[in-house]
Amino acid sequence: MRLMIVDDASFMRVAIRRMIEKEDYEVVCEAEDGQDAVDKFKKYRPDVITMDITMPNLSGIEALKEIKKISSTVKVIMVSAMGQEALIREAVMNGANSFIVKPFKEDKLIEVLESMKS
Amino acid sequence: MENSYIDEPMLEAYVYETSQIIETLEQLMIQSEKVGTFSEEAMNEIFRFMHTIKGSSAMMMFNEISTLAHKIEDIFYVIRENKTIEYDFATLVDCILESVDYYKIEMIKIRNGERPDGDTASLTDKVNDYLVKLKKDNGLDKSKKEDKEKPKADQKYYISPNRKEDQAKYYKVKITFKKNCEMENIRAYTVIHNIVDLVEEVLYKPSDIIDNDQSVDEIRSNGFHMAIRSTAHEADIQKYLDSTIFLEKLDFEETNQEWFKEFEVIYQDQEISDEIKIPETSKKYVEIQKNKKEKEDSKQEVTATAAQSIISVNVDKLDKLMDMVGELVIAEAMVSQNPEVVRLEIESFDKASRQLHKISSELQDMVMAIRMVALSTTFMKMHRIVRDMTRKLSKDVVLDVYGEETEVDKNIIEKIADPLMHIIRNAIDHGIEDAEERKIAGKDPQGNLTLEAKNSGSDVLIIVKDDGKGLNKEKIYEKAYNLGLIYQSIEDMNDKDIYRLILHPGFSMKEQVTEFSGRGVGMDVVAKNIESIGGSVIVDSVLGKGTTIILKIPLTLAIIEGMNVKVGDSRFTIPIVSIKESFRPLNKEIIRDPEGREMIMVRGLCYPIIKLYEHYGLQTNVQDYEKGILIMVEEDDRSCCLMADELLGQQQVVVKSLPNYIKKYKQIKGLGGCTLLGDGSISLILDVGEFELSNVHEK
Repeated sequence: MRLMIVDDASFMRVAIRRMIEKEDYEVVCEAEDGQDAVDKFKKYRPDVITMDITMPNLSGIEALKEIKKISSTVKVIMVSAMGQEALIREAVMNGANSFIVKPFKEDKLIEVLESMKS
Repeated sequence: MENSYIDEPMLEAYVYETSQIIETLEQLMIQSEKVGTFSEEAMNEIFRFMHTIKGSSAMMMFNEISTLAHKIEDIFYVIRENKTIEYDFATLVDCILESVDYYKIEMIKIRNGERPDGDTASLTDKVNDYLVKLKKDNGLDKSKKEDKEKPKADQKYYISPNRKEDQAKYYKVKITFKKNCEMENIRAYTVIHNIVDLVEEVLYKPSDIIDNDQSVDEIRSNGFHMAIRSTAHEADIQKYLDSTIFLEKLDFEETNQEWFKEFEVIYQDQEISDEIKIPETSKKYVEIQKNKKEKEDSKQEVTATAAQSIISVNVDKLDKLMDMVGELVIAEAMVSQNPEVVRLEIESFDKASRQLHKISSELQDMVMAIRMVALSTTFMKMHRIVRDMTRKLSKDVVLDVYGEETEVDKNIIEKIADPLMHIIRNAIDHGIEDAEERKIAGKDPQGNLTLEAKNSGSDVLIIVKDDGKGLNKEKIYEKAYNLGLIYQSIEDMNDKDIYRLILHPGFSMKEQVTEFSGRGVGMDVVAKNIESIGGSVIVDSVLGKGTTIILKIPLTLAIIEGMNVKVGDSRFTIPIVSIKESFRPLNKEIIRDPEGREMIMVRGLCYPIIKLYEHYGLQTNVQDYEKGILIMVEEDDRSCCLMADELLGQQQVVVKSLPNYIKKYKQIKGLGGCTLLGDGSISLILDVGEFELSNVHEK
């Protein structure tokens, strides 16, 4: 599975990368904000995206909309924090395939990623 | 650690990023405070910063840090969402700066491998009180309550537009989510949202999964119930439901129309107005087709690796690299200056060694450039100091910063932050008067403080200048005399020598010790710190007009241009920057004073002579001035002449620190370090500033 990690926090990108390192995923690229995510998506065409919501330039939800316009088959997992219920709802309405709530541990993340394979 | 996934690189990434955010946040606060308000951009940024800290800290299980960030995030959420809101700007800035301080300390703890255990209770309370008050003052707390009191529907339904009455089957579904998967209501919503393609009609309970976060608890304890009417294959529906993420248990059974109706009837009179928006399937289809084409077009572009233009490198590696380049420079000298080869005078060898020298010095420049960091971050920190100080002391001071883009070596930057902070504190505390005093003195009531950095040869000058009351020469002299620091009469000393006394250990001008400065361990520590990196401190002042303190700092510590000299069997290296000239004196030019000290007149100025063989107790045959050579050295306008046997030549040398044995136990004066020469022998690098220099110009 080819994965793109989108998060404006470099820590989160490192964290997600390390959590899935042992599994059979290939992180093809990382993006630092929504616009970057859309651009890199066009370039690298990952199968799955983990998408932070609160980001500069383009929010995770805006980026999600843009990306889903380009490809409806790409799986997008929203990475959110407590208190963002409304935003996730909006994301799901706009085609987010699943979401995960910070803080999470590797088993949760892997479970969500695995479910994207089907 | 209790979390298997948290490891060193993650911790490093966390501390690095969080520290950076905190620093930027602090600057943002200071800038905003100057303007007196948060710009929309600043607000968004602060919100995002706190959001990031909240999320990252929660991931690291640093809950206190996360909670505090969450509260501040909430405050900014409220302010951002309500454009007309009125809020207490000053208190908010204070709260955030206090949090910044707290975070800084916690980051240090985490970096040192400790648990962040700072007590946030009072700080969190303070922030929380602010939030509560903010909401109350602006009437935002009530509206939320009203929402909650609204009668809530317990069940809701969704009816597909293309509903077919025939062949429909009915299913009863109960979904139980796994523990701790969080936001069960939204997960339930996801199930409903994505099932629409499969079903004709779906009812669910609890129904208020969208507006009411309390529904989470109900789903947790009772599960999520659905009644489905569908013409799709049973297996497909079950397969879809089975694929629900974080599914603990799925109860799925076919039921009859009666049961379905019952489920419907119970909630019949409930409002059904907030139906879920149905995606326009037809539009979606078109888009899919369109995008498929696009996708094929762009497929060729796909490359596997991400290109990055900036990488972060561990400083240890850079230090190591610098060391190795140092070794290389030595090795290069060993080869190209090898006495036996040089004697052969081979032209091709000379050419090759020149080429080697060119490359190795380019390499050295490059490594140096990599290690260079702009002073801007250090300078920015000073804004905060000025802010805190002026508030506490109720003085009005503006800090102007120039040349913050000036770069110095990474290792040096770390060592100048504290001294600089101290000088700035001193300037505001002791230097700049309060508004009343300034008015009387006919000055602008607002004090001015300038912080400037500039390059000057192989040094960087950092200049701190205030327009305060200046240093009182007589007072300093009197105090130093009473403390027994000096014995000369005031007429025998020039201004700079007197000002320099404030750098003396144990000297503090302020009678009263304040919170910020004046503990008597001030300027001498500054001087020590700066000297430890090979720099020096220059103090200048005009009484009533202000004080200027200049920190002279070398660009880099590691490699210097030096002149090698020979004394007996020993070799010394004198930094080229200190050398004014060298010459062979005539014996008749030497003057002796009644105490036997020797001096020489050069162009009408009298320089003391220090014989290196005598100073270091060495054996040499060259004791006659006319056979040896004098090297005139200068540091901060003070000079002397050093006597050596002969000059060996100019060379770049790599500074290695002296072993502790020499530095601590023997405490030999005048040595700045040591180095290896081309022929493999050890040379001691002289620290000219430590010799007994005299101020030849002003007498």
